[in-house]
Amino acid sequence: MQFDEANVFLPFAEFLLRIHEDLLIQPLRGDLCKTMVLFNKYLNDIDSGIQYKLEEFFQYIILFNEVSGNALRLDRSIECNKEITTILEMPRLVWINLAALSILKDRLLGNPFQGIAFKAKRVRHHKNDQDHLLDLLDKPILTRIEAEVTSSLSGSNFHCDYLTLDTLLRKPNSRSILAKEKIRLKVLEKPFYEVCNDSNHNQMLTSFCFNKKEHGNQSLTKQNFPDVSIIHQKLNQYKNLMPQDIFECSQTKTHYLPIINSHTDYYLGDCSYLDTCHKMKTCRYLHYYSLAPLSNLDIVDQQQLEKCKNHEYTLGECFTEYQRQIVPPHWINCDVRYLPFQVLGKFAAIISDPAWDIHMSLPYGTCKDDELLSLPMHELQDEGIILLWVTGRSIEIGRRALLKWGYSISDEMIWVKLNQLRRTIVTGRTGHWLNHSKEHLLVGIKGDPIWLNRKMDADVVVSSTRETSRKPDEIYDVVERMVGVHSRKLEIFGRDHNTRPGWLTIGNQLQGTNIEEDEVKSRFETYLKNHK
Amino acid sequence: MLPNKYTYNKFGTRAPNSSSSSSSSSDRLMMSKRSSSDSKSKSHNAMEMDYCNHILHSNKNKKVRPTNKRNEELGIQYIRNINNPFEGYPKLNKLHQLKRSQMVKHAVKPYGVRVPTNNIVPTLYNWIENYNLKFDVIMIGALVENQFILPILNNIPFHRLCSKPGFLFIWATTQKIQELTNLLNNDTFNKKFRRSEELIFLPIEKDSPYFPGDDGDESIPLFERQQWHCWMCITGTVRRATDNHLIHCNIDTDLQIESFSPNSTSSKRNVVPDALYRVAENFSNSNRRLHIIPSRTGYDLPIRLRLGWVIMSPDVMINNFNPQQYKEELYAKSLIQYKSTTSSSSNITIPGTVNNQNNNNIQYLVPQTDEIEDLRPKSPVIASKSG
Repeated sequence: MQFDEANVFLPFAEFLLRIHEDLLIQPLRGDLCKTMVLFNKYLNDIDSGIQYKLEEFFQYIILFNEVSGNALRLDRSIECNKEITTILEMPRLVWINLAALSILKDRLLGNPFQGIAFKAKRVRHHKNDQDHLLDLLDKPILTRIEAEVTSSLSGSNFHCDYLTLDTLLRKPNSRSILAKEKIRLKVLEKPFYEVCNDSNHNQMLTSFCFNKKEHGNQSLTKQNFPDVSIIHQKLNQYKNLMPQDIFECSQTKTHYLPIINSHTDYYLGDCSYLDTCHKMKTCRYLHYYSLAPLSNLDIVDQQQLEKCKNHEYTLGECFTEYQRQIVPPHWINCDVRYLPFQVLGKFAAIISDPAWDIHMSLPYGTCKDDELLSLPMHELQDEGIILLWVTGRSIEIGRRALLKWGYSISDEMIWVKLNQLRRTIVTGRTGHWLNHSKEHLLVGIKGDPIWLNRKMDADVVVSSTRETSRKPDEIYDVVERMVGVHSRKLEIFGRDHNTRPGWLTIGNQLQGTNIEEDEVKSRFETYLKNHK
Repeated sequence: MLPNKYTYNKFGTRAPNSSSSSSSSSDRLMMSKRSSSDSKSKSHNAMEMDYCNHILHSNKNKKVRPTNKRNEELGIQYIRNINNPFEGYPKLNKLHQLKRSQMVKHAVKPYGVRVPTNNIVPTLYNWIENYNLKFDVIMIGALVENQFILPILNNIPFHRLCSKPGFLFIWATTQKIQELTNLLNNDTFNKKFRRSEELIFLPIEKDSPYFPGDDGDESIPLFERQQWHCWMCITGTVRRATDNHLIHCNIDTDLQIESFSPNSTSSKRNVVPDALYRVAENFSNSNRRLHIIPSRTGYDLPIRLRLGWVIMSPDVMINNFNPQQYKEELYAKSLIQYKSTTSSSSNITIPGTVNNQNNNNIQYLVPQTDEIEDLRPKSPVIASKSG
């Protein structure tokens, strides 16, 4: 009998050549059962009229391997007589010899043997083996390590590679995805302007905004910097004199205009302090004027605000949220060391920026470590979070303080301090051994607050520096996202600029006392009465 | 064509019409809105950008797909001097170049010591007892999770391995480094190290090989974790004002960000980014540097050798260390200086001469040039401190 090899084996060879890549990777991973199903479907598509059953298919594969010179490599040999009970005992396809397959295909079709035409990969030439090795190491090594995992439920094993497992484990859960989505809806978008890096633009704009004739010989310092709106009026006047693209850029991006005074030495580079320099009148280093586009964002918001309220994911919110008003900013001027904390009540979140005694001459009074550590902080929270600003030596004391107050240190936040030009601060001897361009905010957690919105923000906040020791306001937003805008929040050692809606601020540098919650008010008044 | 050729009259005073008026009225609107809404905006400068807010919204329309995290932005991507940290500071830039070239000129060749984790401590004992090896800079750990730093720290004979003064750098995740706190604060720790600075390394994007995961064993963290922490510890006495042959202060910052600048070697995959080594090299002028990476580092991040360092790890690429050869090379390449015990003047011998004095008093230094001395940031003179 003339065994028609061409008709029998050609479809499979063609089938394999077509989808070989997909067979070996997830989710098939060389499963013969599924391969058979796919092959049957393929046979159906080409109208061959043949369909295989599992045992036939195994026989077929054994024969195919004989014909093709073992083009298919399996992880165990097929034993036809043995009954296969579970998928796990099934042999898997681990490698397909494509060269052998194409030779087989040529032979079956009766084509003359042409040799194997592979697309020559672009080979990079290396001087020596070492270079080649180093070059290989530059690419990610996509080795996949198979792990055999025993399932506790079924008692059986399953295969998975570590990379897949890792990706699965790191995947955010639906709760945090939805919570993040909700927060995006509820937080108003603020204007954000990118910085133009074209020095040509900056030069040109400088020559338009600060021409010599107008200012004469008077040097430009931050005391007599014109307001941004005035500069924009000027730009509008000169609109037709400057290239169109520069004008448009000035309306959409921030520019830093170099200020060249008569005492400026251009080649010295930028001033370490830039816009916070106290000696701008004589400082020989370069300073800049920040020209931001005028914001025209406030037209937007009514619509956006409406949209914010209409969301359906309300997990973790109080059910009267839609009608609640945020408590206006309130504050108490007091000496934190002597105020009984029962007066204040309990809080979901506390921020504190103590004036640590860091053995430096600072423009404000400092607090002794012992005084801080002995504050009755345990009275302020049953469960919740606390954020404590620390610096240098006080990082360690801060960690100790949190543990003593009954918190566990859950995270550490970093504030990356930026200067006027949105660069990190690299000069100016800001630290003892190294320069400091970030500050630490310890985050402690007490109890098991399941109501926290976790992982809404990263543990790194990038923000510009302001007055000495003033911390970025973004931290308040971060806390509000975590505990919600309506929960009670307290700031200890706050100053006037720290007062904020929804927050109670206490400290001895505040102007007077203004309490918005009746309960706290009456308790505070009773306390005052008793101590007079 | 300069604008001052024209007078204002030529264009007329564009008083209350056109765009300028609308902007000023919108300004007023904004002011009233601010003052009514919250008091913190009183001094809020319109120039200040809220990166958190921007990130929150810029990721709005992007689907969260775990396979491709790159589409989620991070705030630090808006920092403008990541690839060139010293932009705008030509003197500092020059100083970095000079320090680097001086270091390269006097560095011993790159050494690797491939030992399994459980053999690290015995190997160190062997060096100490048979070769009297000491190091001035010891770095431990790399940017991988699950390192066995604690047992290593507990067992390393620091009092014999680390010279005095000596510098220790330990890299780990936020969580792990806190666990080590107790150890270093412990009085019985075998060498007294003072925690002097806390360094941070930040990966630039979520797809970065250095992006740390959640540490696993605990519940969901409060924030998305992005940092690596490092303790920089000092043992012995160094004074920032007078010991400029030993250390140079304020050259680097305590924050390092992953960068892709084409001329740095950090673009190459390495479990230890360039910046980590650079901070140590720029700070300490000593030539004996040891880096211990106690555990395996995974398949995607190789451990490369570095000029001037002995790198010890179960995974290091090349195993070429020979204590005797290392010592000879140190003698040949370094500036040898004898620690002055009483007088401030110290004996200096020229590089290359071997002197068999007590090993403990010899310092192997990278000689510094006048130009470096001129450019480096210096401590203020005491008199000016009060002013």
